[in-house]
Amino acid sequence: MKNKNYNWKDTLSAYGFLSPWFIGLILFTGGPIIASIVLSFTNWNLIGSPEFIGLNNYRALFADGSDFLNSLKVTFIFTIINVGVSVIASLLLAVLLNFKVKFMGVFQFCYFIPAVMPSVIMAFVFKLMLNKEIGVVNYMLSLIGVDNSPNWLNDPFWIWPTIAIVSIFTYSTGQMMLIFSSALKDVPKELYEACDVDGANFFQRFIYVTIPSISPIILFNTVVATVNSFNSSFSLIFPLTNGGPGSETEVLSLSIYKHAFKLFDMGYASALAVILFIIVAAIAAIQFRLSKNSVHY
Amino acid sequence: MNNSRRKTNKTKIIQYSILIVVAIFMIFPIFWIFSNSFKTLTGISKFPPEFLPSNPKFENYVEVLKNSNTLIYLRNTLILIVGNIVGTLISSSIVAYPLARMNFKGRNFIFAIILATMMVPTVTTIIPQFIIFRKLGWLDSFLPLIVPGFFAAPYNVFLFRQFFLTIPKSLDESAMIDGCNKWQIFIKVLVPIAKPIFITVGVLSAIWWWNELLTPLIFIDSENLKPLTIGALSSFKVPGATNMNAWNLQMAMAVIMAIPPMILYLVANKYLVEGIKTSGLKD
Repeated sequence: MKNKNYNWKDTLSAYGFLSPWFIGLILFTGGPIIASIVLSFTNWNLIGSPEFIGLNNYRALFADGSDFLNSLKVTFIFTIINVGVSVIASLLLAVLLNFKVKFMGVFQFCYFIPAVMPSVIMAFVFKLMLNKEIGVVNYMLSLIGVDNSPNWLNDPFWIWPTIAIVSIFTYSTGQMMLIFSSALKDVPKELYEACDVDGANFFQRFIYVTIPSISPIILFNTVVATVNSFNSSFSLIFPLTNGGPGSETEVLSLSIYKHAFKLFDMGYASALAVILFIIVAAIAAIQFRLSKNSVHY
Repeated sequence: MNNSRRKTNKTKIIQYSILIVVAIFMIFPIFWIFSNSFKTLTGISKFPPEFLPSNPKFENYVEVLKNSNTLIYLRNTLILIVGNIVGTLISSSIVAYPLARMNFKGRNFIFAIILATMMVPTVTTIIPQFIIFRKLGWLDSFLPLIVPGFFAAPYNVFLFRQFFLTIPKSLDESAMIDGCNKWQIFIKVLVPIAKPIFITVGVLSAIWWWNELLTPLIFIDSENLKPLTIGALSSFKVPGATNMNAWNLQMAMAVIMAIPPMILYLVANKYLVEGIKTSGLKD
């Protein structure tokens, strides 16, 4: 179907229209990625000019006392929790939004609105709600007999369940909820009717009809959410814990920020950025594969 | 028949109960922001907490708005929003046009690169950007936050392209017969029809810049250039106790920051929901 006889005049004007993007690519995305790679072989604190030091920054990543391996581990834990929770939560919320009842607009408002709230104000209110002494969460726990409730945000163990809960109230969850919700509307009615004839209950319908019908979208959303979580980790964690307690939640994005703009160790921070870029590129490559092979819209 | 109706009623009741319980869970943090914004600091620190303030006060709002910085932060956020909306609407629609409507060498390759760059986390490119803006002398100004908006954000290019694809090609062809060139086709034929996607991208950018944290944190230093997000983070400590949060003021500020996205959701629901859905389904 494709017309291979391109008109050179059309091609020229097409590239004219594309020129803002080309300039943006060179200045703000592609160029900086290459520049990061170059900077990662240098030692530079912004004063004077960068000094070439070969692989020393990468050696330093694995040296004793380096915070890199912790950061990598934390990023891994964060990604699994954040992605896992938001995929499951968004799917369940989408199922609820597909109930055939009235007032759906009100319910959708309640389920979706946290997604478009600034992460800064969500961090404010979660810090208040989860406060050990005056927090409403510990108060409600005390009502059901839990007296020795944890200091959620300052305990190296409980910080992770906290981040899991907070992940429900993120843009990623809201976005996937909307996508799942449309996907669920497209599941053929006949499949559910066949189920009803067989006397299947709600959960059987969900496991045997809903999940298989939308499995490509679940897979696709999971990969997109994984890539997004590298972007959203900063805005979620920085205002909430700033990497704490200790460095328990210091994900790579936070570590890059700290090394570059607090410690002004541009070379080392660039090495971290290159590693993060490689991780994201690997995941993106998987996504490209998936969208070519198994996902059809 | 009667039996089955009773069954439907029972199902409905169960469904409503689940929906309501989950809705309370999801909306609770925002309810808590609103409720606590009307309490004094001592009122907030009371244990057990009051779900609704017994003696609601507006003082927090007065104090937050009297603080001259709040209005400056708000002004700065609005400048960033307007600048970025203008920039991205112009540049992203222009870039999307050939990708959707023209047949040229390298189109698929370029579209693949655009999709790939959508996934690059900002934090991996921010150091060289910082260095460029420092060389240009743009640090601590709005320029590093607005100028990149004029160079077509991949995310928005994608949204425009998807919309342009749905417009019948015959319109372009008849305009061409009437003697329009490519640019005139874009301005006279596509742009008027594509109004909904301009609104969608505008609404999404507004929400994005209302919430943006990382780039202003890095590029802005001066108090009088900070947007709301950074301003809110650095303000509202209890005077004399630098580590103690003035929860009451934080909550009032949070209400101020929560209302505009809510209003946008309510008035532009259709555009917002469609835009967010499409941008997740890159294909």
